[in-house]
Amino acid sequence: MAPVTAAAAGRKILRTLALGVLTAALYAGLFLIEDLVVRLSALGGWYGLVPVAIAFVFSLSHGAFTGYFWDLLGVRARK
Amino acid sequence: MDAAANFIPLDLFDIAYLLIVGFIGGLVSGFIGSGGAFVLTPAMMSLGVPGIVAVASNMCHKFPKALVGAIKRARYGQVDVKLGLVLGVSAEAGVLYGAHLQESIQRAFGAAGSNLYVSLAFVLVLAVVGGYVMWDAVSAYRSGTSRAQEKVSRLARRIQAVDIPYTMLYFRSLDARVSVLFTIPIGFATGMLAATIAVGGFIGVPGMHYLLGAPSLMASATELVIAFVMGLGGTIKYSWSGLVDIRLAMIILAGSLFGIQLGAIGTTYVKPYMIKVVMGTIMVVVLVSRALVIPVYLSELELIGPLAGGTAKVLKGVSFGIMMFALVTGAMIILQALRKGMRTEREAQAVAAPAVAVMPLPGGAAQVLPQLSPLGRFERFLVASDGSEYSAGAVREALRLAKRCGARLRAVTFVAADQEHETLGEQILKHELDAARVHLEQVAAQATAAGVDCEIEVVQGFSVHDRIVDESERMRADLIVVGRRGRRGLARMMVGDATLKLIGGAHCSVLVVPRAAEVRGRRFVLASDGSRFGDAAAAAAGNLAKRCETPVTVVSVAVPSHPETRRREAPGVVERIVRALRSDGVDADGEVAQGLAADMIVAAAARTGADLIIMGSHGRTGFERLVLGSNTERVLNRTQCAVLVVKAA
Repeated sequence: MAPVTAAAAGRKILRTLALGVLTAALYAGLFLIEDLVVRLSALGGWYGLVPVAIAFVFSLSHGAFTGYFWDLLGVRARK
Repeated sequence: MDAAANFIPLDLFDIAYLLIVGFIGGLVSGFIGSGGAFVLTPAMMSLGVPGIVAVASNMCHKFPKALVGAIKRARYGQVDVKLGLVLGVSAEAGVLYGAHLQESIQRAFGAAGSNLYVSLAFVLVLAVVGGYVMWDAVSAYRSGTSRAQEKVSRLARRIQAVDIPYTMLYFRSLDARVSVLFTIPIGFATGMLAATIAVGGFIGVPGMHYLLGAPSLMASATELVIAFVMGLGGTIKYSWSGLVDIRLAMIILAGSLFGIQLGAIGTTYVKPYMIKVVMGTIMVVVLVSRALVIPVYLSELELIGPLAGGTAKVLKGVSFGIMMFALVTGAMIILQALRKGMRTEREAQAVAAPAVAVMPLPGGAAQVLPQLSPLGRFERFLVASDGSEYSAGAVREALRLAKRCGARLRAVTFVAADQEHETLGEQILKHELDAARVHLEQVAAQATAAGVDCEIEVVQGFSVHDRIVDESERMRADLIVVGRRGRRGLARMMVGDATLKLIGGAHCSVLVVPRAAEVRGRRFVLASDGSRFGDAAAAAAGNLAKRCETPVTVVSVAVPSHPETRRREAPGVVERIVRALRSDGVDADGEVAQGLAADMIVAAAARTGADLIIMGSHGRTGFERLVLGSNTERVLNRTQCAVLVVKAA
């Protein structure tokens, strides 16, 4: 059992790191092209879907990352 | 004017401020389903963000936050998606109507009129609903029923009883059918309140709980689905007008997603009434906050005299401060409940852990040490049951023996689960866990009726025999009682036999009970080959026979293929054990049989009318068992009576 547990823990750390890096990259990207995003958002109409799409993408990556983050810190739901 | 001028430049202080407020708001939303959003709009406005952009950006952070929170809590089985979507549709209509009403009031009475309307809505709703929620939580606490399951309110039962043709829908959280004609006003009011004060959940959660009959945990989780539907609709509406500042929304989201996960985890550690305590506390404090600014708006509308210089500013500042205080207070209650719950859980696990020290192995891994079990001790029993007909005999006989021996019983049911299962099959896993709990509660009820001290637990893991052995070590069991599925032939070769694997891995004795077997104590057959394994079985047989006042027939088999010297030992083995048992006050006789060991043991049991065969285990496993075979296995496969396999330890 021990090797399986160790492997699972390793996979979890890797997954957390990968999601953390992806989330950080998304935020960095958002602020790097801040002017463009703000200009497009302000146009409204079909361009209004830009912030909606960004919110969806961020929630998937960041949401998964925060879940793994608390899990790694030992803050888990009671079984 | 350039529309982008609505979007202010942000510095590090602004970002840190929004992250912290977002985290606290997320924490509260994850716990009570909503309630974190109402300070975010004023918080953004305090940075200079125009009101309408603050509302739009708040909405845009809300729907992804609610989505993540809903997914998280759905994993805990707390979300009723169908109820959330049905209420969400009417809530969306409520949002549109609420926004329209706001605009009309603003056109007719100006900003002060709109603010007065919002504050009055706050005070009215929070006074009525918040007061009732708080009263209910305090009543549950005072009456000592706070740990008990919540009861469906009388009003909810009446609503569930109303049958209006073509409008009835079944909802899982209610475990009942309810007419959508009742869900529409609740959803509509939720949406209207969301459009007015940004927290529709202050009506949605109590509405689902008190009016429809959903448990408060499920109501607060399902509210996240409604918040997602409303938030997505509202975001599209505002972003179509180019009013969403996605930077603000994503910064708040960054903080709130950490918070909402933590709040959702917190719900698994608290009793249902804690949801009401947090919600009621926030609602009552916010009520005070909003009541304070009512004179300001009344004064602006010239319905009362003008306020003294600076009073309006002070009242608005104190009001915002109290609102922040409400949110921080809620967050503190949640964090405290989470900390306390996790500590209690750790302590409970420590109590259940083995008393013997866990020694680290050189490789860094740790394993549970085998217990030092005196042979023939019958004080702690572990019965493993899967609720099937194959386990019925095991449960029945475990209770019977536990009563005779005055032993403590622990009943466990195994549910296969690992990380992948938990991710891929939450609903299936939950269904299995629920079924396991129901079965164990039935076992506990049988134990209570029989006067046996019994604990129950659902255990999860990869392999059933490993987990049962682990559990037996954790509780330092003297005996494991299991049923017999009797897998034979190709099936046994392909997947193995869980009972035999359990016997091979266990450090204590194992009682295997076929479905129809009953250990009434008519007679025990003790099989011994004269080895130390046979002596261990004799010690256990003597102890059990005394407790059950049962006669014992000692059988030793002279196997034709064995060397002559060994065959000649058989009578001596029988005589030695019979003498030892008699000196211990047990009614014992003996016989020597010739033939195949397993066949002779089973035949002796049948001939003497024995209801239990007791034998030692050589503990052969793996390749050795494949080559040499196992007498235990052969006996188990040939007999219809229970078999006690004693481990020499």
